[in-house]
Amino acid sequence: MAEKRKREAPAPAPAPAVGIDLGTTYSCVGVWQHGRVEIIANDQGNRTTPSFVAFTNTGRFIGDAAKNQVDMNPTNTVFGAKRLIGRKYIDPSVQSDIKHWPFKVIPGLGNKPMIVVTYKGEEKLFATEEISAMVLAKMKETAEAYLGSTVKDAVVTVPAYFNDSQRQATKDAGVIAGLNVLRIINEPTAASIAYGLDTKSESTGEKNVFIFDLGGGTFDVSILTIEEGIFEVKATAGDTHLGGEDFDNTMVNHFVQEFRRKNNMDISGNPRALWRLKTACERAKRILSFSTKTEIEIDSLFQGIDFYSTISRAKFEELNKDFFTKCMELVQKCLNDAKMDKSSINDVVLVGGSTRIPKVQQLLQDFFPGKDLCKSINPDEAVAYGAAVQAAVLSGGGQEKFQDFVLVDITPLSLSIELVGEVASVVVPKNTSIPTKLGKVFVTSKDNQTVVRFTVFEGESASTKDNNLLGSFNLSGIPPAPKGVEMFDVYFDIDANGILNVSAVHKTTGQKNHIIITNDRGRLSKEEIEKMVLAAEKYKFEEEMYKKKVEAKNALEIFAYRMKITIMNEKITAKLPPADKKKIENAIELAIQWLDGHQLVEVDEFEDQMEELKRICKPIIPKSYKGAGVINDDALPLGRSSSSRAAPKIEIVD
Amino acid sequence: MGVDYYNILKVGRNATEDDVKKAYRRLAMKWHPDKNPTNKKEAEAKFKQISEAYEVLSDPQKRQTYDQYGEEGLKDMPPQGSGGGFQNGFNPRNAEDIFA
Repeated sequence: MAEKRKREAPAPAPAPAVGIDLGTTYSCVGVWQHGRVEIIANDQGNRTTPSFVAFTNTGRFIGDAAKNQVDMNPTNTVFGAKRLIGRKYIDPSVQSDIKHWPFKVIPGLGNKPMIVVTYKGEEKLFATEEISAMVLAKMKETAEAYLGSTVKDAVVTVPAYFNDSQRQATKDAGVIAGLNVLRIINEPTAASIAYGLDTKSESTGEKNVFIFDLGGGTFDVSILTIEEGIFEVKATAGDTHLGGEDFDNTMVNHFVQEFRRKNNMDISGNPRALWRLKTACERAKRILSFSTKTEIEIDSLFQGIDFYSTISRAKFEELNKDFFTKCMELVQKCLNDAKMDKSSINDVVLVGGSTRIPKVQQLLQDFFPGKDLCKSINPDEAVAYGAAVQAAVLSGGGQEKFQDFVLVDITPLSLSIELVGEVASVVVPKNTSIPTKLGKVFVTSKDNQTVVRFTVFEGESASTKDNNLLGSFNLSGIPPAPKGVEMFDVYFDIDANGILNVSAVHKTTGQKNHIIITNDRGRLSKEEIEKMVLAAEKYKFEEEMYKKKVEAKNALEIFAYRMKITIMNEKITAKLPPADKKKIENAIELAIQWLDGHQLVEVDEFEDQMEELKRICKPIIPKSYKGAGVINDDALPLGRSSSSRAAPKIEIVD
Repeated sequence: MGVDYYNILKVGRNATEDDVKKAYRRLAMKWHPDKNPTNKKEAEAKFKQISEAYEVLSDPQKRQTYDQYGEEGLKDMPPQGSGGGFQNGFNPRNAEDIFA
């Protein structure tokens, strides 16, 4: 016991910073400890956690518990939040995703997508940041359970091709989850760290590495040069809306049509049927990575009709060929941007679950003839691994090990100032190393112009209307002059965190103004974030209360059944007057009946019942019994089965 | 003659492409703000200079222009050119109109 107490109250040492890969379908957390990265398993023993959040009448579930109950509760289980984060409701990709999701998404203020669920019988609206924050909080808890202390600092990864509003929104999600986000880093870059450290011992000289990262929802490619610990990102390209989810969806569409053909019925309006079909398709997709054909079997898919079908690997490849072609186009684009020929690539590294698809590997192999595709790093964990290393570097952990390590990242998108006629004038070209400071001169466009507006965009289009607005500011008090006479120096200054500061100086008067790009129109305000932080704490508190209730109930249940067994043991009851024995038996029976009628009442009530039962049962309580709820002997299988009820587990029934 | 990119990277004017790259990497490792948590500001400023110098000297065309005309030569490149360089020195015809 003494030893146990010691373990429960460790010296409050600050927890190291962690690295979190916040994925579309799965998330992963790692920490640098004892000279290496540990990928941390969650409470279910899994090293990756589904990025799922479920709301029910009794509570909220995150991760495996949420994913395991989608079948029963499809409209209140949220996933794929990463596909919404930092986007507008009217975005075509959002509109197309909504069609595939069983949960409801509506337009909120400023066209922000809002997720609608029923939680404890009430309709609730959540911003995407809040859902992502719940997943991040789960990863934080996973790390805390492993480290035994409170985790504060984290490096969180995003797809390299995420734009500014998607990055900022991810950072906000971190704040809502109670994390201090040390830095947002790019997923392929993080993966390259895992690769680079893995091959460090055997590598000499400069290496050009191609990272191909195809995950559940996003696709990124990056080219890095690695030499003696310096990781220099050369170019990056990608699609923030291309991944395993899309492959599942094309299969779902295919089978919806097949069902319609066979049965003349449309299942597309039925969330539960669609989810079950999607689950089956996801499984079929995985099987098709090592088998050339597989079956889909779903009993009573829709209106009592069973659905049986088969799909071949060739059919799967045909359904998704446009996506695969897109991937390869981006591979070529990235090489062009890096001004490199494919022959100068030393290694091609596969990251992300979808790189297990044979067709993807074959296309890459054909593109890079004679090169082995590097599969030595774990495609599901590499990103979290790299994030954990960067977290250690930035928080000053493991200094000696990282003395010769530095990561020089780049801007994924071009940054520009808007000219007359919605023309984008690039100041910082994409793939520029950061930190950086670049400038350009601009002039007035009208006669006697006294106010000039500087509007900042990111994106590759020559027209600003197809780019992403970052912000704007005015410079006033310009002396009237013919157009084109008054000149301004405009500087774009980006720090290592990717924070952009745009400043403009009027050449003759020295008038100045500037803007730090941290606030996009769609972004949450400080007040909103504060509100969400409070709400998140409230949900967490409610969850803890729920857990405590379940624990108190289990403790009472276990105790009652234990006493029931004890009272039947004649060795113990031999010396007991029959009246007392009867009284105890009655009390136990009453407690068990009471439990049946009071599944989840307040903790106090369970405790009161417990005290009462303990008082009556005192004569038969064995001396070894040290407290309620802790069962040390194996004589009580009942106790074990009820304690496992704390986390509701529901198996998927297909 | 303005900024001396060779001096920033601490290489001679005859340095090969490889020398330039090695010099850049050595200095980037030394001055990246992540490596200098106690003097981030100074390191960041240094790093930006190093990057700028490397951007010019690692590109044969830009390096040639720089060798011939100095920093001013790079500035007079048309604004929509290959990008990257600084454009504060200035020929009004090359400046771009601001959308008011």
